Amino acid sequence: MAMATTTDYIESAKKVRRPLPWPFAAPKGFGLAALPLAFLLFFFVLPVIILFVTSFFTARSFVIEPVWNIQNYVKILWAAGFWQATWVGLKNGVFTAFFSVVLSFPVAYYLVYRARTNVILYLVLLSWFSSYLVRVYAWRTILGTNGVINSFLLSTGIIDKPLEIILFSPFASVITLIHIMLPFALLILVSAMRDVKKEYLEAARDLGASGPAVLYKVILPMTYKGIVGSFMFSFILAAGDYVTPQLLGGREGVTSGLLIANQFRSSGNWPLGSAMAFVMMATFIIVYIVFVQILRLARVAPGRRYHG
Amino acid sequence: MLRAYLSTYLFFLFAPIAMIVLFSFHSTPGLVFPMEGFSLRWYSELFANGNFVASLWNSVKVGIFTSIVTTILGTLAALALIRMRGSFRRVFELLNFMPIGLPGLFLGIALVTLFAEIGLPRSLVTVTIAHVLFTLPFFVETMRSRITYFDASLEEAARDLGASQFQTFRLVTIPILLPTIVGAAILTFALSFDEFIITVFVSGNDTTLPLFIWSMLRRTVDPSINAASVLALALSILVLAAGGLSMWMQRKRAVAARVAELEGE
Repeated sequence: MAMATTTDYIESAKKVRRPLPWPFAAPKGFGLAALPLAFLLFFFVLPVIILFVTSFFTARSFVIEPVWNIQNYVKILWAAGFWQATWVGLKNGVFTAFFSVVLSFPVAYYLVYRARTNVILYLVLLSWFSSYLVRVYAWRTILGTNGVINSFLLSTGIIDKPLEIILFSPFASVITLIHIMLPFALLILVSAMRDVKKEYLEAARDLGASGPAVLYKVILPMTYKGIVGSFMFSFILAAGDYVTPQLLGGREGVTSGLLIANQFRSSGNWPLGSAMAFVMMATFIIVYIVFVQILRLARVAPGRRYHG
Repeated sequence: MLRAYLSTYLFFLFAPIAMIVLFSFHSTPGLVFPMEGFSLRWYSELFANGNFVASLWNSVKVGIFTSIVTTILGTLAALALIRMRGSFRRVFELLNFMPIGLPGLFLGIALVTLFAEIGLPRSLVTVTIAHVLFTLPFFVETMRSRITYFDASLEEAARDLGASQFQTFRLVTIPILLPTIVGAAILTFALSFDEFIITVFVSGNDTTLPLFIWSMLRRTVDPSINAASVLALALSILVLAAGGLSMWMQRKRAVAARVAELEGE
């Protein structure tokens, strides 16, 4: 056999080195991403797909029959009870998100521009980690028939029998959900506001902007992403919650989240529950679109006007 | 005025929790002020309850396993994100973030459908899988600021100076990211320890602490709920405080080393 020539070597080296064409070449960092990617594909993407497929099946006496149909969706769209529950859930979400953001905004301002230490931020973080269930339970203790407020009002003689309306009402759900969401809403706002340097505010002041103008024309547009994030996070977690409505909401406080959870916990019509879950997600997306449009109309969204 | 508002805000956050702590030491079952006396009876009752002790231990186990798996997956994801560019990075980022952009309920029912489909019986294993899915986005988000400012040229410099790929990783990449990794791992434990919404759907016969508290909540008004709640709180706070302290000490040591270095010159 003839000895390989130099050109052969170069050719074979080229062959080895040549990168694979597009769909086969692994992008940079792929090797590292492989494991987490596999986990997410298998335990996140796949389950969501299965859930979606399930929503087109039917359940008969607790057995899922894989027959494609849209009965579940038809049933839901015509069920007044579901829409009633959806409405309660969306209201819970919107009220909670609105108050969480509005109440946290001044605190975020204080923490970013005024506070000298991080003590308050740590305190808020701490309350974020005080168990979710414990806080729901605390509110039940406060608002309950034999709870702190009623006992106080009874003992002072302001009322002569316990007020039932405080507990087991959408109001009880919302105040508890606000209490739960506040720390999270605040943290998102703080991290967004950290990007707005103090110098920008001073510059606006020096150029003659009033206090409200600084807020409206500098802080709000620059923290826009944080505001949307904070609102949507609180909204999704509050509107999709089923624990607070179950423990505090009473009969009028039943939400779509609770209906869905019940399908998967007790009565066991999983396909119907899956379909409800996708309808619920669709309503969340609508709320997101409406919210962003409202911010745009209120002209707090950053837009062309700043460059024109 | 802002300060007065701030106090009200903090009061609103902490008053309900403080109240539970107070009632956990109450000598009578009543949940009404004024309180009648101090006692530890609810705590001793709780520890006499085998179910409570078992669920507490289960929660610790799940928390530890979740932290280990999430730390490995999350660190790999973070290291990958440092190197990634373009649309693959955006897709990967989105995928890492999405699980917390959805209600916990949605994740719970999706996972339980998957487990039923592949025939995996519900146990602490499925609970751990669910917790990893739930905590991974928080882990990666915590690492994010560190990733954004990570100077990849440091790694290149080490390689140019003759370090092997593994040496670069061990001597350059990991030391830079370690404090953040430790913090994120502790956050993961605390989140897993508290998780309830998803856990309900994927747990089998073994309960975790939140599930135990939930079963008490639904049964009767048993004042040892207060004690159980306080213990759950105390453990989370303890873990977070330990984490905070270790990060603080690490930072202090790094600063001291730096000062010593400069003085030596």
